[in-house]
Amino acid sequence: MKLRRSMLFVPGANTAMVCNAYVYKPDTVMFDLEDSVALAEKDSARLMVYHALKHFAYQDVETAVRVNPLDSPYGHLDIEAAVRGGVDIIRLPKTDTIDDILDMQSVIEKVERKIGTTKKTQLLAAIESALGVVNAVDIARCSSRLMGIALGAEDYVRDIRTQRTKEGTELAAARAQILLAARAAKIQAFDSVFSDVRDKEGFVSEVKKIKNLGFDGKSLVNPNQIYMLHDIYAPTQKEIDWAFEVIEAAEHAKKNGLGVISIDGRMVDAPIIARAERTIYLARTSGMIGEDDE
Amino acid sequence: MNSSISVSEFGSDNKRRVAKVKEFLDKNGLDMSSDVEVFVTIKDEDEMIACGGLAGKVLKCIAVDSSRRGQGLILKVVTHLLNAAFTRGTKELFLFSTPKNIKFFEDCGFRLIEECDGEVILMENSKNLAKYQAELSSLKKDGDVIGSIVMNANPFTLGHSYLIEEASKRSDWLHLFVVKEDASEFKFADRIRLIREGIKHLKNVTVHEGSDYIISKATFPTYFIKDKGQVNEIHAKLDLNVFRNQLAPYLGITHRFVGTEPYCKVTNNYNQNMKKILADPNGKSAPIEVVEIERIEFADQAISASRVRKLLNEKNYDELKNIVPPTTFEFLMKEII
Amino acid sequence: MKIINSAHAGTLESSDIYIQINPFKEDKIELELESSVEELYGDAIKELIIKTLEDMNVSFVHVKAQDKGAMDLVIKARLQAAVLRACESDPVWEEL
Repeated sequence: MKLRRSMLFVPGANTAMVCNAYVYKPDTVMFDLEDSVALAEKDSARLMVYHALKHFAYQDVETAVRVNPLDSPYGHLDIEAAVRGGVDIIRLPKTDTIDDILDMQSVIEKVERKIGTTKKTQLLAAIESALGVVNAVDIARCSSRLMGIALGAEDYVRDIRTQRTKEGTELAAARAQILLAARAAKIQAFDSVFSDVRDKEGFVSEVKKIKNLGFDGKSLVNPNQIYMLHDIYAPTQKEIDWAFEVIEAAEHAKKNGLGVISIDGRMVDAPIIARAERTIYLARTSGMIGEDDE
Repeated sequence: MNSSISVSEFGSDNKRRVAKVKEFLDKNGLDMSSDVEVFVTIKDEDEMIACGGLAGKVLKCIAVDSSRRGQGLILKVVTHLLNAAFTRGTKELFLFSTPKNIKFFEDCGFRLIEECDGEVILMENSKNLAKYQAELSSLKKDGDVIGSIVMNANPFTLGHSYLIEEASKRSDWLHLFVVKEDASEFKFADRIRLIREGIKHLKNVTVHEGSDYIISKATFPTYFIKDKGQVNEIHAKLDLNVFRNQLAPYLGITHRFVGTEPYCKVTNNYNQNMKKILADPNGKSAPIEVVEIERIEFADQAISASRVRKLLNEKNYDELKNIVPPTTFEFLMKEII
Repeated sequence: MKIINSAHAGTLESSDIYIQINPFKEDKIELELESSVEELYGDAIKELIIKTLEDMNVSFVHVKAQDKGAMDLVIKARLQAAVLRACESDPVWEEL
């Protein structure tokens, strides 16, 4: 599964960010056409994101576009621009039911057919309401295009009639539900943004928490948050050493035709090998080990 | 990324918001201007950090909080003001500000027209001044004494006619500028027609339609509300500087004629500034001699356009007839019917 | 595409471009460009603007552009946004 720790939000109307976001090397660049873009700038932002997606600077990084809802005057045009631009993922805002996904999917398919592309645009559903959280299990399983579900905390807390706190008590139920729904459907789970960019301590503590909860990553609003997040998601040296041992043991067993893999007399099964591979992948992406360090 | 920054645009009828702008301008040492029609403000969270206003074709009241300078906020304000103007069909704009901002506004496509006393600047984003100067150059006449008069003639009186005749006598050629701004009781088209008819017999006078560069809402906004006694001295000085440095040299103007002002303090003050600024031997361009010509009187009272307007109000047409040329009188009589 | 209205797009902020579009009485592209990088890229920017307009089949147009060191993708996006606004039209993607 692709590594997606950091999804950097880039307001579609912010020229400097649209032009430079790739420089910060987030795992995914997520251009926003929705809440960060004023109504009068929707058309202009859409065109800028369309051209950015086609620009060579964005060919080596995964891209996503948060589009406006289909029932707004902008949704269809946003999807057309994103798909024609060759985006990897479309993020649906305010997903309440599986119909939201299926409707979006059919609009995307229509554009893909029209332009004759073989690329299958993936979907990321943002769950931002009580109804969405309750339906998360169904939503997570309803489409093969769906690569993950994400919590959108601002709208969610408004919907359940509370507000954000430092501790995040108000998000506990939603986080748990979204994570379980994603894991059960074998897709990824992403946490909401932490918008106070000045509060580094608060950010670090929230990232540690959601990492422990099992989230694959988090949406970010500021490039400075990328490095902090990657640091926290990076494996420890002890974990890396362990992962190498597991991989070596597995290779040893394979070479010698051994049916059972073991380290120090303890059995190593497939999920453990998968976890070790993932640790090494993370370590390499975080720059902790080079390509030849195996 | 500044996700907490928001921009708003509102009209001068939004009293609560305008009051906040005034407070912000005060804090930054700037005056509120009563002719602003559209305001743009930038806020970070709930705190105002920059503002600007649009008055007709003039951008003014542009301020950025001292703690937020150097972040390009001024560019954001000007962009929104240009959009507001453009939406209202105004593309060629002027801008009033302080000299320390010249560089920023140059970055926004504005060029400096004139700076005054290190306090104010006037800029424009079109090339109209250069075009106007070229036009003036083509109308230049030779001579030792090239006179000039700037008048509103609201409406044209025997006083105006006397001033022009005197100036014409004393000049080899006389350039007469008529204030073009349609902000007075009588329309520009009528004012200039009555002047033309009234001075047909003079052969050494060019009557110029005024422009944005001569007593206009751009160079001298408070002139048009002078009855309220709000004339800002710095505006008067700016207007005179533009005349001396940007216009007079293209026509080779050596003299400016003006009637004495016995009643209106504001106009009298303007005349005094005129002497100071136009005749100053140290300046960017050649000094201009200011000649004050005594006003003629009728029945022991100086003839003035304001007296005409007063008599009109009082319907005292008999006295009125004595202080305006026949062409003006005919026009006025047709107007009342 | 036919220019019906005046329209603008973009900002004066760094790495952006501010574009104003007006109907023009002659069958041509009348372009006024000011750029903070004029000496180095002035000709390239003009070429890009004209090419972008030609691709959209736009003529009878006056374009005033104030460039603050915008990347090509920004120039195209802003210009196309201004044209579409001036034509009151949805995008024809094949032309963009």
